Amino acid sequence: MEKELKEHVISMLVNNRPGVLARVAGVFGRLGYNIESLCVAETGSPKISRITSVSKADPDFTEKVKKQLNRLVDVISVNELDDDRSVKREMVLIGLDVNERNRSELFQAVSILGCTVVSLKDSYCILQIVGTKVDVETALNFLKPLVVKDIARTGALALESEI
Amino acid sequence: MERTGAEILLRTLKEEGVDDIFGYPGASTLPIHDCMIESSIRHFLVRHEQAAAHAADGYARATGKVGVCLATSGPGATNLVTGIATAYMDSTPMIALTGQVTTNLLGSDAFQETDIIGITLPITKHSFLVQDPRDMASTVREALAIAKSGRPGPVLIDLPRDVLALRIKEEEAREPGFFNTTELKFGEDERIRLKEIARLLNESERPVLLIGGGVKLAQAFTELSDVIEKVSIPFVTTMMGIGSAYTTNGYNLGLIGTHGMELANRIIHQADFILAVGARFSDRSTSVIEGFAPLATIAQIDVDPTSIGKNIKTDISVVSDIRVSLKELLGLVAEKKRDDWLSRISKERSRIEMEGCADGCGPVGDFIRQVQGNMPEKTIAVADVGLNQIWAVRSWKVRIPRGMITSGGMGTMGFSVPAAMGAKVGDPDHEVVVFTGDGGFFMNVQELATIGFYNIPVKIIVFNNGNLGMIRQIQHHFYSSRFRDSRLSDLVNITEIARGFGIESEKASVHDPGAGIEKLCKAEGPFLLEVIVDEDNFVYPIIPPGRSNIEMIYGRGE
Repeated sequence: MEKELKEHVISMLVNNRPGVLARVAGVFGRLGYNIESLCVAETGSPKISRITSVSKADPDFTEKVKKQLNRLVDVISVNELDDDRSVKREMVLIGLDVNERNRSELFQAVSILGCTVVSLKDSYCILQIVGTKVDVETALNFLKPLVVKDIARTGALALESEI
Repeated sequence: MERTGAEILLRTLKEEGVDDIFGYPGASTLPIHDCMIESSIRHFLVRHEQAAAHAADGYARATGKVGVCLATSGPGATNLVTGIATAYMDSTPMIALTGQVTTNLLGSDAFQETDIIGITLPITKHSFLVQDPRDMASTVREALAIAKSGRPGPVLIDLPRDVLALRIKEEEAREPGFFNTTELKFGEDERIRLKEIARLLNESERPVLLIGGGVKLAQAFTELSDVIEKVSIPFVTTMMGIGSAYTTNGYNLGLIGTHGMELANRIIHQADFILAVGARFSDRSTSVIEGFAPLATIAQIDVDPTSIGKNIKTDISVVSDIRVSLKELLGLVAEKKRDDWLSRISKERSRIEMEGCADGCGPVGDFIRQVQGNMPEKTIAVADVGLNQIWAVRSWKVRIPRGMITSGGMGTMGFSVPAAMGAKVGDPDHEVVVFTGDGGFFMNVQELATIGFYNIPVKIIVFNNGNLGMIRQIQHHFYSSRFRDSRLSDLVNITEIARGFGIESEKASVHDPGAGIEKLCKAEGPFLLEVIVDEDNFVYPIIPPGRSNIEMIYGRGE
């Protein structure tokens, strides 16, 4: 039986201690779910980190993963964020060679896409794009013909927009 | 006052009520063993670390207290793994203390270093690496609280040798960190759900109570028995649920599932309402899930939210302490007689008894009943894994809470002898009798030395059929009797082996045990009775893989 796969964004608060990420990741792995993207950083309190993960999974995912994560001693809270009531953003850094041929196209792209040039050394430039997943993917597609040399992409960060 | 990490460890354990530890020393844990000399905690030196974990597990299952085992770093720690996993699967509150190399060597592949926290991540409820003796006391308290709270389980504390040896001033100790043992509250939502469960139960015509290991863990024996009596509800148990309710009231239909009793399996199949308490509907209990109790509305009460709807989608559930829930439920349910349902069950019972397959264990069943007849009523039975376990749980009538100890979820062969040792240490006032086979017995045979050394008066019955009996039965039914690698041998003289360990021992035949049982029961010290059993003494009925609980097979040649 093929189950319908949907993107699930989980946002959790965890103790900021060694080994916590391994425990959290272990829950996903044991249940057979892949983590498509993952963001971890300290919150306002140095004792607490927020982990935001994205998985493509069947409808059972939410209940299974939430329950198992809640069982971990180091997990303080677990929330699934739905599209309507949360804001999601991701960021990508794109490294490109700048040369005579693509220079004008590149700067056109920059102005259309609203990217920021965060580094320009010799003829190597790094662009930064912050936006929704669609924004990031549009930009990547647009820039691909310009010979992208390197990409570093975060996963989604998300917060509930209504509390 | 200055104390070492090891001193603080033992003092805190003692303050928190730990009296006994099962363990095996190594270079990394010597600071602890050194402090044992001044400590009032008793340490039992086992002969293999796996047995230390099983003994702590058996201790906890017999007493309801937290069991504690101790092993050194590296191989000592890895030898605990099977025992920790066994405790995890059956939700035993346990603390595993492991030695570790000094903090400056962590991660350097030092001698006897292993990442035991990494290895045990999926089989512990939680684990700690103590990196500073100032955190020792708070960590130990936290670990014990976690092991006992909610759905209990094993917690591992990894102890680098320098942390054990370092001295700190008492006032330097740091407070517990920030941990989150979920306090389960019984609130309005739970009350509403419980009312709905009570309504369903009141309106049902053919209700069955399904009892799992959670009742024992919640110490809810009385509360459960009260509910059973008030609403006249027949009950079945999972393997872990055996002994959770008093069984003299006639409502006990026995074990369900793959190796369960025919009556239990047939009745739960006919039920229109099932109330599962502290049970997680494991595959061994339900057999193929699509065929389980097709007519029933299913309600579930459990302390662990992950056990709700994990294997079977239940219609209504309450997450709460089982004891609290049952107390509340008692007030909500209506007193009922249920004569129709109970007489239908008793007809089914007589039919099965007439056909002569009440326990389906053959001569071994009679033997076990004979042993029980000669032992005090409040005897704890400890069963190993395999046919011996099925014989024991089907033929031994559990008459006290915690009266049956066995490895259910993990099915760990070799569990029984060390677990019985732990049970007897923890509960010296009750007789402890082991049922094991000639397979599992040898998996921890070395513990006869421990039993002899401390003179722990457990009574061990080894059923010797020269085979791995359950494997042989499975090969017979489902592999066309192509027996391979299930034959042990007749060459080993178990009685002589026991005597070699200084344990008094006799050999008997299951058909004519003669003086064997009497000697076993009268023995003051530890005693081993080797019982010769026919290799084809299988258990019937049995449910073939991929079938439902009522599609059982009854004997050979089917």
